[in-house]
Amino acid sequence: MKVFSRKYGRVSAYILAALIMIYLSYSLPGFLPGDFVTAMYSSSHVTLTADQEAQIRAFYTQREGFIRYLVNLVTLNWGYSYAFLTPISDLILQALPWTLLLVGGAHMISMVFGFIAGVELAWRRGSYCEKIGVGSMTIMEGVPEIGSGVILLLIFALYLGWLPASGAETAYARHSAGEWAWDVVCHLTLPLSTLILAYFPGNFLLTRGSMVMVLKEQFVQTARAKGLPALRVRYVHAARNVLLPMATRFGLRIAFMVTGALVVETIYSYPGLGTLLFNAIGMRDLPLIQGIVLISSLMVLLVNLALDYIYGWIDPRVKHAY
Amino acid sequence: MHIDVRGELVRDPWFVTGMGLVLLLGLLVLLGPMLAPHDPHDMSFQPLSPPSAVHWLGVNDGGMDIFSELLYGMRNTVGFGLLTGIVALFLGVTVGLGASWFGGLLDQIMMRLADILLAIPAIMILIFTAALFRPSPVMLALILAIMSWPTTAKAIRSQALVVKNRLHIQASRQMGASACYIISRHLVPELFPLYLIGFATKARMAMFMEASLAFLGLFDPSRKSLGLMIGYALKYYYLNVWWNWIMPPVFLLTLLIMAVTFLAVSLEKVFDPRLKEAW
Repeated sequence: MKVFSRKYGRVSAYILAALIMIYLSYSLPGFLPGDFVTAMYSSSHVTLTADQEAQIRAFYTQREGFIRYLVNLVTLNWGYSYAFLTPISDLILQALPWTLLLVGGAHMISMVFGFIAGVELAWRRGSYCEKIGVGSMTIMEGVPEIGSGVILLLIFALYLGWLPASGAETAYARHSAGEWAWDVVCHLTLPLSTLILAYFPGNFLLTRGSMVMVLKEQFVQTARAKGLPALRVRYVHAARNVLLPMATRFGLRIAFMVTGALVVETIYSYPGLGTLLFNAIGMRDLPLIQGIVLISSLMVLLVNLALDYIYGWIDPRVKHAY
Repeated sequence: MHIDVRGELVRDPWFVTGMGLVLLLGLLVLLGPMLAPHDPHDMSFQPLSPPSAVHWLGVNDGGMDIFSELLYGMRNTVGFGLLTGIVALFLGVTVGLGASWFGGLLDQIMMRLADILLAIPAIMILIFTAALFRPSPVMLALILAIMSWPTTAKAIRSQALVVKNRLHIQASRQMGASACYIISRHLVPELFPLYLIGFATKARMAMFMEASLAFLGLFDPSRKSLGLMIGYALKYYYLNVWWNWIMPPVFLLTLLIMAVTFLAVSLEKVFDPRLKEAW
């Protein structure tokens, strides 16, 4: 019985979290003092006649039931953006691939290289190289994405002019497929480097810390005494034990890392969800904000859920513990 | 605690650097209104004028003195961080100790709730409420604190479960000490290092959140903030203002977050004996 309760306990926590998010996004706008119309037009320069206002209010205040809201959510029927006058699902689905490319790529690269660097430097413990690495990475850990993003932007895009400062591709340019790919890479470089600078130090420091501990264990000595090549001892025997803390840390922090990605996208006007959200906030486009907030929260929950399964795959002991 | 914690902290370069930065920035925060040469909301100066003896860092596009803005903005950022840190710590300690001491159903419910909160991106809730209701920064800090206690609570709970079963606590139970006495006299003081670490990480996260939210334009635009200043300044990147307008808030924000990070790293290293071997 215990076997099931924990596993399903965690899964049900995610499902509950998802439902809470959906319900909040459904119900919170209802608590607005006044309504969307007041919120949008009270501070704008447009003055409405009483007749117009009544019409608009009647259009925007039709409330659907929660079940209807859920069905609409699943069928991608997320309503219309007030500012862009296009379906919200179109806007979000256009922006999503860029965000996934940027954030996913940054996580991949910083994890793989953070892992390798951590393992290698833990192996060379006490060397000059290791001390410099740990020191500089601890300093980097203290630099927020806003800081590194703005500095990289100033140096590489504005002062040196090597890389484009904004966008994800050159607008209106007719490219062959190869040129287009290169163009995308050029635009991706700066935001991607900023995110890697933010994610890499944490991965590196954690891997190194756990690896130093693992290297003290007896099975490592046994492996070395058997005469196995050092590379094999390091990666096949020792380093795999570090994967679990890394996955745990990733799961704990992903909800907070969303903030950094938002800011970086905004700094470089990268056309992902973050910039879309920034524009929506600027134009007080509430349905669009609602859609983006909900979709990105659900995506974070999905990643967390996936991680739970990955734990069991990384470390079979976890599966037995349930 | 039988290790010489104080001596070890003083000898740790990270702690010394972090503490030095915190003291320096703390002084700036406390003395801000006295140091600021102008009222940061005074819009009567020549917009975009370069730095001079009167305006040390020049004047921004709205005719406001940048140096004074900087000092006031930092106060807001730090205040947000401290408030969130304190409230989140209080909630985390209460829930963590309560869950570990009483166990059973309360423990189960609290930890499930923690799991749920951990999985929800706090920034999204903040953005949504900020966009809908335009609440005051204090309100947002409280929401952030309510969203972010679980990590502290979990750390404290697991450590409290270990401490709870130590001999001296069993002994005091044996002698008839009440739950209240044991919690307040034994558990609370013995978990002290965890509070420091929890507070530092929470305050760091909150300051970063505040800067990001302000940068995204979710606060009242007249409220001075480092993030808001960066956002405005970046719009004028094509002017030659990078060193007197864009960089100062970026630099200050980085220093703030760095100082707290160093303290957190150093405290974790000194108080967690397992980690210490790794350094």
